[in-house]
Amino acid sequence: MSESGVALQMVGVSKQYPGTLAVDHVDFTVYAGEVHALIGENGAGKSTLMKIIAGSFGDYTGRLMINSREVPLHSPAIAKANGIQMIHQELSLAPPLSIAENVMAGRLPTCGPFLNRAAMLAEARRCLARVGLDLDPETPVEEISQHEAQLVEIAKALGNNPCILVMDEPTSALGRDEVARLFEIIRNLRRQGLAIIYISHHLPEVLEIADRVTVMRDGRRVATEEIRNVTSEQLVEMMVGRSVSNLYAARKAQPGQVRLRVEHLSRYGFFHDVSFDVRAGEVLGIGGLSGAGRSELARSICGIDPIDSGAMTLDGRPLRPASYGAAIRRGLAYLTEDRKTQGLALRMSVAENILAPMIQRHSHGGVYRAGCGTTLLDRLMRLLDVYPPEPRRMVATLSGGNQQKALLAKWLATDPQVLILDEPTRGVDVGAKVILHRAIAEVADQGRCVVLISSDLPELVGLSDRIAIMRRGHFIGEIPRADATEAAVLLAANGEGALVST
Amino acid sequence: MPDARHDNPAPQTQHPPRRVDSGQGRHGGQAGEILALAYRYRVYLLAAAIFAVMGAIAPNFATVGNGAAVLKAAATNLLAAAGFTIVMISGQLDLSVGSAMTLGGMMAIGLQPQLGVAGSFVAALLAGLVLGLINGLLVAKARINSFIVTLGTMIVVQNAVFIYCGGGTIPAATFDVQDVLQRPLVAGLTLQILIPFILAALLAVVLRRTPIGHGFYLLGGNPQTAWYSGLAVNRYVIGAFALSGMLSTLGGAVVAMSEANANPTLGDSSLMTIVAAVIIGGTSMQGGKGSLMGTAVALVALAALVNGLSCRGEGYEVQLMAGGLVLASIILYDAYALHRREKTRGQRKDLLKELRE
Amino acid sequence: MSSSPSIPADPRAAAPSRLHETLNVLGVYVLVIALFGIGCLISDEFLTRNNLMNTLQAVTLLGIVSIGVAFITYSRHYVDLSIPGIMSLAGIVAVSALPYGFAASLAAGLGAGLAIGLINGWVIGHLRLNPIIWTLAMMSVLSGVIRKAYAGAQVYPDQATPAGAAFLDLYHAKLAGVVPLPLAILIVLAIAGCFVMRWTGFGARLKLTGSSYEVARMTGVNVQRTIMAAFVLSALTSAIAGILLTSFNKVGASYIGKGYDFAAITAVVIGGMTLAGGRGHIVGMLGGVMVIALMNNIMGLVRIEEMSLSGHVILRNFTFSEFHKAIVQGVVFILVVGLNSYSRRKSGLDDA
Repeated sequence: MSESGVALQMVGVSKQYPGTLAVDHVDFTVYAGEVHALIGENGAGKSTLMKIIAGSFGDYTGRLMINSREVPLHSPAIAKANGIQMIHQELSLAPPLSIAENVMAGRLPTCGPFLNRAAMLAEARRCLARVGLDLDPETPVEEISQHEAQLVEIAKALGNNPCILVMDEPTSALGRDEVARLFEIIRNLRRQGLAIIYISHHLPEVLEIADRVTVMRDGRRVATEEIRNVTSEQLVEMMVGRSVSNLYAARKAQPGQVRLRVEHLSRYGFFHDVSFDVRAGEVLGIGGLSGAGRSELARSICGIDPIDSGAMTLDGRPLRPASYGAAIRRGLAYLTEDRKTQGLALRMSVAENILAPMIQRHSHGGVYRAGCGTTLLDRLMRLLDVYPPEPRRMVATLSGGNQQKALLAKWLATDPQVLILDEPTRGVDVGAKVILHRAIAEVADQGRCVVLISSDLPELVGLSDRIAIMRRGHFIGEIPRADATEAAVLLAANGEGALVST
Repeated sequence: MPDARHDNPAPQTQHPPRRVDSGQGRHGGQAGEILALAYRYRVYLLAAAIFAVMGAIAPNFATVGNGAAVLKAAATNLLAAAGFTIVMISGQLDLSVGSAMTLGGMMAIGLQPQLGVAGSFVAALLAGLVLGLINGLLVAKARINSFIVTLGTMIVVQNAVFIYCGGGTIPAATFDVQDVLQRPLVAGLTLQILIPFILAALLAVVLRRTPIGHGFYLLGGNPQTAWYSGLAVNRYVIGAFALSGMLSTLGGAVVAMSEANANPTLGDSSLMTIVAAVIIGGTSMQGGKGSLMGTAVALVALAALVNGLSCRGEGYEVQLMAGGLVLASIILYDAYALHRREKTRGQRKDLLKELRE
Repeated sequence: MSSSPSIPADPRAAAPSRLHETLNVLGVYVLVIALFGIGCLISDEFLTRNNLMNTLQAVTLLGIVSIGVAFITYSRHYVDLSIPGIMSLAGIVAVSALPYGFAASLAAGLGAGLAIGLINGWVIGHLRLNPIIWTLAMMSVLSGVIRKAYAGAQVYPDQATPAGAAFLDLYHAKLAGVVPLPLAILIVLAIAGCFVMRWTGFGARLKLTGSSYEVARMTGVNVQRTIMAAFVLSALTSAIAGILLTSFNKVGASYIGKGYDFAAITAVVIGGMTLAGGRGHIVGMLGGVMVIALMNNIMGLVRIEEMSLSGHVILRNFTFSEFHKAIVQGVVFILVVGLNSYSRRKSGLDDA
């Protein structure tokens, strides 16, 4: 690691939100030529800290030094002028605009008063090549896939030739090869002397790429360590503030009768000829790369998307839901991976969200009695430890982890016989994860079927009784619990390895 | 604001994380490609169809004199429509364009005795600027929904104009300006037609070919991105409304000066025509997408439709119906195209190939 | 349509209390009471039974239309711009059907409104077309159709027939000799609307749909049918108002109902419903209607003999015309909405 000097120094920086101190007198130093990981649970203040660096706030307190010069970072324009670039967790591209216009936003090449279109396209192409993307820069961003969009976002940030690069969960939508490529790029940038701040929930990634790591908790900096001096367990302890042993409690897996049977199910162009069954009390994991067709399969099973061929039975009776509503009435539930736009109505209260699927059941003669759900609501909020425990609170004011708990509570409220979970703990902190996992295991232990779609390999391996592997729209095999390891799943998902048995 | 289909207003990018294979065709098959092309150039196809049909069925439609009449009708609303387009590309809505046209016409004519021709013309422009600034400030700084703001200012301006003129038409103090504006220069084209079209063309160049123009697209495409890119977001919002206000009063002034009188109902039916033309011209209500060219072509097409129908001796009621039907069919087509795109979005080519085997 | 980027809500921000929400609904009544006070101060005529009745009567029809519009706004679909068309269609169809009897006439008028509502609802709910643009097109087509069908003529109910007489009497009829029929209809519809929005499964689904269409869909709500129902309800209330207005005007014509679309959205939004959907209350909306009514009435009572500013007489014998009233309404509209959204932002109910 080069010690070429301090790129960014924060001294006693605080940021007050109405009601709370989100960042509390934080000192934070990043050297040029290092990758500095920033970790912490949801709501620990790391995103707010990074937003300060990106110039989102005009009202933080404390001092910020860039190259030993104090700079008031009060607008994104100032941050940009000082060589700071941020790659946002929630993609910040303009969908109707072309890739080139997005990549070159804010630095369009001109020729006199006019735009130099040729130069814009050429430069955009150069930026895309840097992240290994071969796309027509005139394609509108709304037509490219999410992982491509994430790479475009990175290309855009790099194109501005930053000195300080902030990456907020840059790998959340990327596949394994793309992550490897991104890490190659990051190492390259580090050699060039950039200061890189890397925010992630994914500890293996942090341990692989970072030089130093800073842990935040409750708005304060807990520790800054050389990465070679810490272990994954120590980091988790620092984040949570207590020692977390054994994330995955052993399941008393005694699967019973087959309840859900799926036979030769196809939705043309999305997944083909998928067959499996799930027994009572069983967690069936579905592993695979992003885009393998797992979410599409789940949506079709639940009647959200159409089925082109195949059949399903639930408890021996044919299952062919005409709509998602009908599927829910048959005891199916699908927890979407997209919490913010499909899962929770952010402007409604926790109670309204959790009881939303129960409107029909709590209506008698057309009259809806929200009061019917009070006991249920209390029980679920306690079970999942939704914090703060105020049912009237607007969901948007909850932390990501607690939103995810509310989302699970929403589907547990329907008392589902088949619970399909799509990335149930994505972007969730360790504490919330433990609670979510416990609740999921409990559902299975009650003799229900759980189908778990997850890209979080420890989770998939830790919770599943069996893991089916999906690749390019097909089920390519199954890994029994005894043989399930992270490596085995990963190899199988990539179509390699010998553990795949059909 | 929602698009032709009414969707989530959140400006964030939400890509369904489905497609994994890039580089493969974006639209399915050759038929799909033709449909995509038809979709992209639909406003031109529509215009061509209207001209062809009207030329065939309406007597005296396909004459030079009538061509000028069509352009004149289109020119009436063109400037306000240009302003409306810019506001909509920026992701907002300006319902006050019609009443701003009336305001412009009224000031340009009504103030002539006090300020003279040039003075009253400038006053009209300034009034539009002020109106636009008020709209823009209320939207950008007070963060009020632009539908509400411009609905309010529309009502205020409309009624203020009525009070000013007492509900009647005000004649111009001089007819010199009318002579200049109405004199045919080339092929029956008068300044009344040329001024709006030339100005709109200049604006189109600014919008498409300069960084400032691109700023409006970026703003409408995703305000967050625009902000992080260092764009002065509020200034662009206010600027869009100011432009819209000025262009509308200018348009109204040109019309009134050409007619040598100011009518308090001048812009009454304009809003409807303008909204129809801008939507038909392919500008998205969500912002970030659209063009002045599309708006202009759509205005000409709608003018040709009305003109052709009246050439056939059809009355106002048929024109109303036909205009409504054209707008309805265009947005139905939009919805269909989007439905098609979404149905196949994320389909894997390799899987489809397997089906054929 | 936020103009500047919003800063995501802080996870630990103060929780918006129920009180805040109640205040948001009832806030408009502060304005109502204030206007009431101003009215009493400004003129002795204000607090007379006659004047108050006139005040109410002037907005009864607007109130009826607004109840329907409230459902559309609640579902985040802004407004139905074809309301004037529905009103005149219902009126003109009802008058045309009078020869078949009074009941048939009412049924035909309501049926016409229902049909348009079903079309609007189906196209917007199922095909997902933008409500503003679609209803604008619908308005254009409707008014063209009405003009074409009646060749621009007006239709008059025949006073001589019993059905015609009954129809003309509709607007002026009094329930139990005191309550005017339109007012009674308004009250019944308001109570019903309030009940449906707050206490029925449909209302709950509508709120979810209005708050987030995608979430509602992914919760198993039949969003298409829910949205369709909102447009049907709005068309029905418009048809009722259209029939009453036709009875009042003693004539069915294509221009009847003009301006009711924007007036209704004004009332709804002043009443605390937001265009963002899923927020607001019928009771608040009625407050919005009352604000408009009181403002108009008070302005009608104002007579300024002479007003001078630093020696110059600027106003003499000034009374508010309809145009002045409209201007004041427009300004108040923007101010109230601005204030509403400001307080909502401050109290954390809206993060944008």
